[in-house]
Amino acid sequence: MAVGKRKIECPLYAEGTAVSEEDIKTRKVTHYEDHPDIRYSWTAGQAISRFLNGLKEGKILGVKCDGCKRIMVPPRMFCELCYKPIDGWVELKDTGTILTYSISYIDPDARPLPKPIVVALIQIDGASQNMAIMHLIGEIEPEKVYVGMRVKAVWKPENEREGSVTDIKYWKPLEG
Amino acid sequence: MIEKITDPEKLRHWGGKIELYWVYTSGKAGDLFFKKLKADGKFLAAKCKKCCWIYFPPRIYCPKDFSETEYLEVSGEGRVRAFTVARLDPYEKELKKPEIYALIDIDGTNGSIIHLLGEVNAEEVSIGMRVKPVLKPKEQMLGDLTDILYFKPI
Amino acid sequence: MEVEVIKGLKFQKKQDVAIVGAGMTSFKRRLNETGRELNYYAVRQALEEAGLTIDDVEIVVLGSAPDAFDGVHMKEEYLSDGAGGFDRPYMRYFVGGGTAVFAPIAGYFHVASGLADVCLVVCEEKMSSCHPHPQSAFKYIWDFFLDRPLKPNLIWIFALEMRRYMHVNNVKHEDIALVSVKNKANALDHPCSHVAEKITVEDVLNSEPMALPVRRLDVSPPSDGAAALVMVAAHKARHLTDEPVWVTGVGWSLDTTWWTNRDLYYPRYAAESAKMAYKMAHITDPRKQIDVVEPYDPFDYKELHHLEGLGFAKKGEAPILTKEGVTQRDGDLPVCPSGGLLGVGNPISAAMGVKACEIYWQLSYRAGKRQVAKEVSTGLCQAWGDLMQISTVMIMSNKR
Ligand SMILES: [Zn+2]
Ligand SMILES: [Zn+2]
Repeated sequence: MAVGKRKIECPLYAEGTAVSEEDIKTRKVTHYEDHPDIRYSWTAGQAISRFLNGLKEGKILGVKCDGCKRIMVPPRMFCELCYKPIDGWVELKDTGTILTYSISYIDPDARPLPKPIVVALIQIDGASQNMAIMHLIGEIEPEKVYVGMRVKAVWKPENEREGSVTDIKYWKPLEG
Repeated sequence: MIEKITDPEKLRHWGGKIELYWVYTSGKAGDLFFKKLKADGKFLAAKCKKCCWIYFPPRIYCPKDFSETEYLEVSGEGRVRAFTVARLDPYEKELKKPEIYALIDIDGTNGSIIHLLGEVNAEEVSIGMRVKPVLKPKEQMLGDLTDILYFKPI
Repeated sequence: MEVEVIKGLKFQKKQDVAIVGAGMTSFKRRLNETGRELNYYAVRQALEEAGLTIDDVEIVVLGSAPDAFDGVHMKEEYLSDGAGGFDRPYMRYFVGGGTAVFAPIAGYFHVASGLADVCLVVCEEKMSSCHPHPQSAFKYIWDFFLDRPLKPNLIWIFALEMRRYMHVNNVKHEDIALVSVKNKANALDHPCSHVAEKITVEDVLNSEPMALPVRRLDVSPPSDGAAALVMVAAHKARHLTDEPVWVTGVGWSLDTTWWTNRDLYYPRYAAESAKMAYKMAHITDPRKQIDVVEPYDPFDYKELHHLEGLGFAKKGEAPILTKEGVTQRDGDLPVCPSGGLLGVGNPISAAMGVKACEIYWQLSYRAGKRQVAKEVSTGLCQAWGDLMQISTVMIMSNKR
């Protein structure tokens, strides 16, 4: 028969020895630190390569599927709903609508940024509903950004573009 | 049919590095092991209270029957069970001098450890050879495996 | 035996599956113990509660999230001996945070299929090894061309989702913050808790901004920890206890990884996973038929989001349940009575300790100070993960 029945309280014990950052720094707790040098080369594949090459020319490219009639961005070589190859490429506008946004105070390593930045999901004009990309918003006070705001891409000068999502510096409010 | 990019120059890639590093705590048994080594230059093993198997390096539990263990001191000396001569480093670069790595069965335990052999040439190493640890000077010890510089023939 | 077929799935089992023991370690920002040692602590407790020894275990399931946290590649190998994986069939299951409930689902397969009569499920995470910050590991889940050049922090995804949820449903941050207040207070009664504290809605709204709307106290803290469950066949359960807790339904579902193409205000994946589990457990009205819930709550808004996805509230109405106190421990539908990830801590997969383990303890009336006030017979636990698009659900009952 199992121990205790209803009288026992679980978990039975709280085990584990908490240590602090300080314990590590002062080597109060023994440890080993390793900085491996691991390098990767990530390939972009057909669809994203073409998308990036398009950005270099100042164009936002999407793809269409005749099955579900969606115009998709970011582009892909197959439609994940119809599970078949896409039916062609479409040039989209460099304007869109903010679906949601955040004001970020931290960098990828959770360190504070010198000044907060605005990141948003932008539904691109010419693509189907909810077809958004993530990008930054600029030329506006963070508090003034709202869901539904119309925005336009601000491109880097042509000679500085390298075929990256950062060829668009950020998106700025369309009106005003 | 969708036209594909065939010019490899137009296919994109991105080179990057995993910019992470890790700090591994030695754990409960490991912490005692390294602290003992650093403080007294002594080696700890752990004996299962049930099956009497002696683990080296020590563990807080016996993975076979999940019983608790008790610590005991051992000399740290042992015998070479197997060895290899490394000519390349972990990034496949030629080492200046080949290094001998051995699997060493530690006396008085059922455990073993992988470490460098020193003060010996590769041609002179043999299976079953008796070896003992050579430690760093106490003030340089960090409380990790590099506190043992290498094992040398007795 | 009659075979039930749902969406092509055949819910045919060879034997009923019961949970008879559970264990977990403390959840802390950094624990000195190695992952192996943490597993040992959790397993020993689960076996002790079940009245079994490691020799009784026939098969072992390990759940653990990305190797990048522990910094051990193929960590299931490394972790195996503390998990009891030694000399027996052993396998790792992994769906990011969803592992916290997916590992027990895998344990369920092993027993329900008749492959094993006694299965040990162990989940471990040692996030503190990863530097400069556990969040840094998440840099490598972003798309390297579309997202990473923008230097994102993982919190961005959740901030964007939370804003969308608030916007579409017209929900205020103060209504969401109530979840954090409730869970952190519940955790005061959990011996393993990391960040239990009495806080107010104002504390949440004034806490340090991370990626607005997300502030420090909206988020669960990364933690080290481990948890374990013992799952057995019906004929074994009879000998071990008078009060087994039965697994009556499991479900999981994945939405598209093109996350910027989904409307984030509603978790479709949670609804789909629940649909599967409800069919299996013959649940038609979750709000009436389920007594206690442990939805995945790494952020306060996620508890609400998931409650809606799981069908406990209409879209946008989970905040009302919270406001009216329905989800308190003494309410009509206690939610996260353990204190959840927000209060006890978030060691990704080891969150099993406050999800599956807690529901088991609640249904066996062993939750002590955390025991909910109402009489309970059926409970649900849920986890969520990968690139925020998988949901895993398990339903348990103390009646067969
Ligand atoms: Zn399609
Ligand atoms: Zn033993």
